Amino acid sequence: MDQSICINLAVERVNTSVPTREQPCKLFTPGEIIFLQSDFMRGHGTYPEDDVLKASVAGVVEQIGKLISVKPLKNRYNGEVGDVVVGRIIEVTQKRWKVDTNSRLDSILLLSSVNLPGGELRRRSVEDEQMMRKYLIEGDLVSAEVQSIFADGSLSLHTRSFTYGKLSQGILVKVYPALVKRSKTHFHNLPCGASIILGKNGFIWISPTVSDANSSGGFTQNLDQKVLKGDREVIARLRNCILALAASKIPLYSTSILYAYEESEKYQLAELLNPESMLDIAILTQQKIQMMEDF
Amino acid sequence: MYSILFSDAEKTYIWDGVELNLRNDGRKRNDYRPMELETDVVTHASGSARLRLANTDILVGVKAEIDVPYPEAPNVGKIEFFVDCSANATPAFEGRGGEDLANEISSALLKAYDVLPLNNLCIVPGFSCWKLYVDILILECGGNLYDSVSLAVKSALYNTRIPNVKGTYIDGTNVDLQLSDDLFECWKLDVSKAPCFVTLCKIGEYLVVDPTVEEEACSTASIVVSVGENGSITGIFKIGEGSFHQNAICDAIKLAGTIGNELNKTLKLALEKEENLGIRRERYGFLK
Amino acid sequence: MDLVSSQGLRIDGRRPNELRKIRCKLGVFSQPEGSAYLEQGNTKVLAAVYGPHQTKGSRSKAIHDAAIVNCQYSMATFSTNERKRRPRGDLKSTEMTLHLKQAMQASIKTDLYPYSQIDIYLEVLQADGGNYCACVNAATLALIDAGIPLKEYVIACSASLGNGDVPLIDVSHLEETMGGSNLTVAVLPLSGQIAVLEMSQKFHIDHLPVVLNEALNGCRRIYEILDEYVKTHLNEIGTIAGWAKSDF
Repeated sequence: MDQSICINLAVERVNTSVPTREQPCKLFTPGEIIFLQSDFMRGHGTYPEDDVLKASVAGVVEQIGKLISVKPLKNRYNGEVGDVVVGRIIEVTQKRWKVDTNSRLDSILLLSSVNLPGGELRRRSVEDEQMMRKYLIEGDLVSAEVQSIFADGSLSLHTRSFTYGKLSQGILVKVYPALVKRSKTHFHNLPCGASIILGKNGFIWISPTVSDANSSGGFTQNLDQKVLKGDREVIARLRNCILALAASKIPLYSTSILYAYEESEKYQLAELLNPESMLDIAILTQQKIQMMEDF
Repeated sequence: MYSILFSDAEKTYIWDGVELNLRNDGRKRNDYRPMELETDVVTHASGSARLRLANTDILVGVKAEIDVPYPEAPNVGKIEFFVDCSANATPAFEGRGGEDLANEISSALLKAYDVLPLNNLCIVPGFSCWKLYVDILILECGGNLYDSVSLAVKSALYNTRIPNVKGTYIDGTNVDLQLSDDLFECWKLDVSKAPCFVTLCKIGEYLVVDPTVEEEACSTASIVVSVGENGSITGIFKIGEGSFHQNAICDAIKLAGTIGNELNKTLKLALEKEENLGIRRERYGFLK
Repeated sequence: MDLVSSQGLRIDGRRPNELRKIRCKLGVFSQPEGSAYLEQGNTKVLAAVYGPHQTKGSRSKAIHDAAIVNCQYSMATFSTNERKRRPRGDLKSTEMTLHLKQAMQASIKTDLYPYSQIDIYLEVLQADGGNYCACVNAATLALIDAGIPLKEYVIACSASLGNGDVPLIDVSHLEETMGGSNLTVAVLPLSGQIAVLEMSQKFHIDHLPVVLNEALNGCRRIYEILDEYVKTHLNEIGTIAGWAKSDF
């Protein structure tokens, strides 16, 4: 009988922050004045009052032209058109699915925004409406793209591309949306042998790599095919690495995840749950990223 | 309990993983996630402990108050368990939302703690005794509530200091209680007989310990075994709507006995280690 | 017994205008969007913020142009010297919940979140006077941790009168029970707006401005302490996130 039980003491608690050479920067907290004049465009996290622009969240200022916004480290997902997201279906209604994307309101996936099996473009009929539960039901995960933003701020999603659609077997990891770095692609087939979807909303999907030319962006789930132990080890390791990076607030993108994966190989899989080894991986990854930046 | 939405594919993935003895976070079926323990965190209580298992967070405070023993048991003290599911853990617990779960856990504790000897909690037989109020606060749920609650309760009881009180009869019937002159003169409860819960969660045809929230959602039934010192079984409860086969139960109990024994030993070591740091050790609590 | 000794010290050794030691931490839990732990002397509270999310329950509750702010105040049964029988649901905590909501609504920019709901849950772990103040301050920290837009911090502080004319700030439990009169304010410290004001028992009208002024001073000082902590905390964890790579 082998089992592992480990009880640490609070006095041994590790501090998850990783040393960095970045200079601390100017931070604003709610109510603080950013600019004395108000001829700037106010973005997220700011508000004008008495002709001055003030911060409404705690974070750093971002300036794009005349647009000033304050970016907090942690918040709910603020959707932007074109973002790749991973979401979970929470309700099926007539002509639409409601999707949880970690936004402040439920997102909407319209029946007309999905590619129906068969592929051809046609009007959605009443039969299609009745078939909606065949495609996606409550609890299912989908990858999608933000198509537009409704007036009340909720997001409208679409899956009208082969890359998007229902997700099959794998693991979902949730992190703060701000930790997912924007990049050219959010779909990666990692060389270590797994696929990963980095949803901009902080939902990360890890699954076995499918060698498929026939991924239809469709609604099939292969429940009979068992994922092999080797693949599972890779997926579990990736999951633990992502959580280790997230605990130390290191941005997540394909390179940082791969570095962490390489650094983690000296540990047994289950050891990666220990706070000490998580911190060790985060520190080593951070050092590697900095080294690569210097080249 | 609380439910989470889940797709069939994710469930299948977990089921198959359990079958291959490789769970989603890389653990084997019999592995616990790392825990963190701290005792003596609430100054207003006679004893307290905080246990964090992954992100399940339990805070326990024990208060000793003087009470009158039950007429049918004049020579023993009393113990009461109260579980409060804080809304901090999930909005579903707001108001009275967590009450069912809380009652389920507190009644399980009360039954399992029947084995703890309470004789020395008696001050004057028939007249006065100590009553221990064990108050459990669930601050965050990350799965496996039973095990973590029981570990936290045991640690808090280990940490409990009870003042020295002597009772003397005046004129035969009335009792006068006197607190010892030295206010810091206290005695410690013997918790070596206190049990720990081991939850075995049935996923597919296999049993796993320390299930995560996702794993709990995949399982139809769990069996909670309370294990005392040397692996003796002091109580068994089944939770969840699914069912177990008779043979499966027997295997489960055997397994739980071994694991529970190990759990009790590990906890004891951790508690002693902390005690050896002295009372001047730094309290971390929720800071740092 | 006098609340202020002849040497000018209070029962716990503080000077009349001295705050109790404040210690805090942001982000103690992982499930809520924001969480905070705050200690003011021996009063210890935990705050958790969920949301903004779609209004739960009946859709008619949702407001079309603002977010609903939902609060719950609860005390651990072991938090007081005498064990509490119920953690919440009594009159006192219902009143606390209402006042908390009032204070938080004064600051949260609810107009940004139509049809949504923000849940703020407070749990008092140890009560030693000024529970309401500690709760407001902890809730503010949790809201900041959750990245929810605020007009500014809401800070609460209590004040009382000792020996008949000495204003005392940040009143402890012992002083609350011995002194009697007690003034609690929640303010937006930068603009000086008062969001909640509550006075228990009687004051002479002449003393009110003095006591109120001391309470407001206390709020300003708590604000400085908390703001400094928030900035150090964010710098520590935020710099690494490469989050700060702006040349502002």
